[in-house]
Amino acid sequence: MSLRLTVALLALGLVLVFWGTLAQVNLGLYKAQNDFFRSFFIYWSPAASSLRIPIFPGGYLIGWLLLINLFAAHLRYYQPGKKKYGIIMIHLGVVLLLFGQLLTDLLSRESVMHLRNGETKNYSEASRQYELAVVDTTEAATEKVVAIPVSRLHQRADIRHPELPFTVRVKTFYSNSSLVEKSVPGYGKVEISAGFGSGIWWRELPHETDTDKRDMPSGIVELLTPKGSLGSYLVSAYLTRPQVLTCDGRRYELVLRLARFYKPFNLHLMEFKHDIYPGTDIPKNFSSRVRLQRADTGEDREVLIYMNNPLRYAGETYYQASFDPDNQGTILQVVHNPSWLTPYFSCVLVGVGLLTQFLTQLVGFARKRKTS
Amino acid sequence: MNWSLSDSWSFSSRHGLALLLAAVLASGCGQDGIKVYTVPKEQQPQMSQADMPAGHPDAAAASAAPQLKWKTPDGWTELPAGQFRVASFKVADKEGKQADVSVVPLPGGAGGDLSNVNRWRSQVGQPPVTDEELKTLKQPVELAGQPAALYEQSGQNPTGEPTRILAVIQYRDGTAWFFKMTGDSQLVAQQKPVFVEFLRSVQFAIGEAMAAMPAGQAPIADGTLPAGHPDMSAAPLGAANSGVSTAGKPQWAPPAGWTEVPGGQFLVAKFTIAGAGNAQGAVNVSSSAGDGGGLVANVNRWRKQLGLGELSSDELAKSAKDIETTSGRATLVEMSGQDARSGQPASLVGVMVIQPGQAWFYKLMGDAKIVAAQKDAFTRFVQEVKY
Repeated sequence: MSLRLTVALLALGLVLVFWGTLAQVNLGLYKAQNDFFRSFFIYWSPAASSLRIPIFPGGYLIGWLLLINLFAAHLRYYQPGKKKYGIIMIHLGVVLLLFGQLLTDLLSRESVMHLRNGETKNYSEASRQYELAVVDTTEAATEKVVAIPVSRLHQRADIRHPELPFTVRVKTFYSNSSLVEKSVPGYGKVEISAGFGSGIWWRELPHETDTDKRDMPSGIVELLTPKGSLGSYLVSAYLTRPQVLTCDGRRYELVLRLARFYKPFNLHLMEFKHDIYPGTDIPKNFSSRVRLQRADTGEDREVLIYMNNPLRYAGETYYQASFDPDNQGTILQVVHNPSWLTPYFSCVLVGVGLLTQFLTQLVGFARKRKTS
Repeated sequence: MNWSLSDSWSFSSRHGLALLLAAVLASGCGQDGIKVYTVPKEQQPQMSQADMPAGHPDAAAASAAPQLKWKTPDGWTELPAGQFRVASFKVADKEGKQADVSVVPLPGGAGGDLSNVNRWRSQVGQPPVTDEELKTLKQPVELAGQPAALYEQSGQNPTGEPTRILAVIQYRDGTAWFFKMTGDSQLVAQQKPVFVEFLRSVQFAIGEAMAAMPAGQAPIADGTLPAGHPDMSAAPLGAANSGVSTAGKPQWAPPAGWTEVPGGQFLVAKFTIAGAGNAQGAVNVSSSAGDGGGLVANVNRWRKQLGLGELSSDELAKSAKDIETTSGRATLVEMSGQDARSGQPASLVGVMVIQPGQAWFYKLMGDAKIVAAQKDAFTRFVQEVKY
């Protein structure tokens, strides 16, 4: 492994970042990120062909090669002795930085908690990923949720689970769709046998690439029990009203919704404030006063979340991200990133390494000068 | 300095690296799993609909619809609320001009004023405006006791009819409320004071924002066509090149004397037929998913093109004729009147063919003599089409 390779990889990385940044114009942020940076290769498909030809290394490949190259160089040139401590620290710092970013990419999760004034929630929602939730609402105080990720619906296979009283057969599923209430060209009639949605027409849409918008999936699922079919239901991100059904004396709700991440505590929005400079429309401060309540620990306290002052709790960080246009609700960004400290450690490590290396050289040089 | 892979890179180091790689890659898997959890019930008003019997078609829609009160203006006909609309009205004048009023709630910003106004502008053939220009378009009105901005767009819809759209977006309780009146330009202009008065009469009930549609795309049931207009060139949001391309072209043999011409994106095919003098006829072929809005709506659309009044389904049943085609039965109608565009006397022969999941419309229209001469050839043409 060589320094040349490192330079070549860094150059490729430069091209990749430039290309990937430009590609966002057409592909949108999320697709560009996945195609260019969260991939081993960038693929090109000839027109009207399903062939995928790799034409350029992707972010994962460049990152891994850099990491392996660095390890190899370190192993090759490792020599015990004080003189190399600085170099080792620099290398370790860079390795930690690369590795930390990979962990962040794989393990971090961003979601959103939208609270209206006076509202209490114990979950945040994904910004783009959906789930088909089958919710047993029979009990008075609790509900049991079986959340099926949309990736399973794509497979169009029958979905069985020990907690589900029926098999979910996916008859049709559109990752992005448009629903209308009237027959218009290009739209097909939603053919269902149960639940509401019979007067709806729909069509599949290509994936949404605009950063400000998201896909609105829809599908038809048939619920099958050993005794027979319970019917075909329309599920759609456009419908927040769940389909309601009974099975074996229990009540169930069926809803296609943004994936939820439940918390062991409640957040209650006491007040959202949008302060402006007097006599202007210029925002001065956005803040959310929330009450954090946790039953298992008895915790109950008030927290003020505002710009640059997030709430860090239970491995998650709650940032003041946005608010409702009527100033009566807040939108908190919830970031779960187990490796959030790695960039700090690696920067310190590289800094100390550079300093050590510099001082080692300086001391050595000074000694030499003295002796000569 | 030239580094190379050294022999000192021991076997155990290699294994370690491989393990590390495997561990990291493995950590990315397993995200496709089904999750099960028991959570406390949400304290939201819409949960009451769990009491509705399974499979009750309208129960959920009715129980979860946001509560909105208003005073229906004189001359407006209230229509049943739809899956997306919480209120819907029809307005018509004596001359048969029509307008549609809708109230659609969407949680979140629903794309904001600018993108929605530009979408409405595109529906009446107007160019988009910038954020700055948008400010000059705002007309202050009062909606449910709060100030709101009314946007008025006029122009022509894709079929060339003068159309006007009055729309108000009001953001309250995390929901964008769309109040919209669309229809004949003159009628909507006349109705504007009534619409403004209607907005003033609206009252929101507490807690209404909980049940509606999620944020994300702009309103979807908005800007769509009236029922049964399959071959009109007006498409809903993002639906350019719609149904026609997915349906594909069936196999047919056009008779001699028909010239195929480009029909635009909403016609599967168009043929022109030239007769003696300046006499002209044309055959339009269009297709729509499902039953395309049904026979009555489509025949009445054709009748409108000839300046004729609407028929009820009973009246239509008397005049429509069933014909046999190679792909099953079809319905043929004939009518004569005045071409609404040219003002010239014209005849029309229309055939509707229902295929599984797809309806096909064939229309021969033009000078009465040409239509009479071409009727048999047209009917044979339709009968022999293979889908």
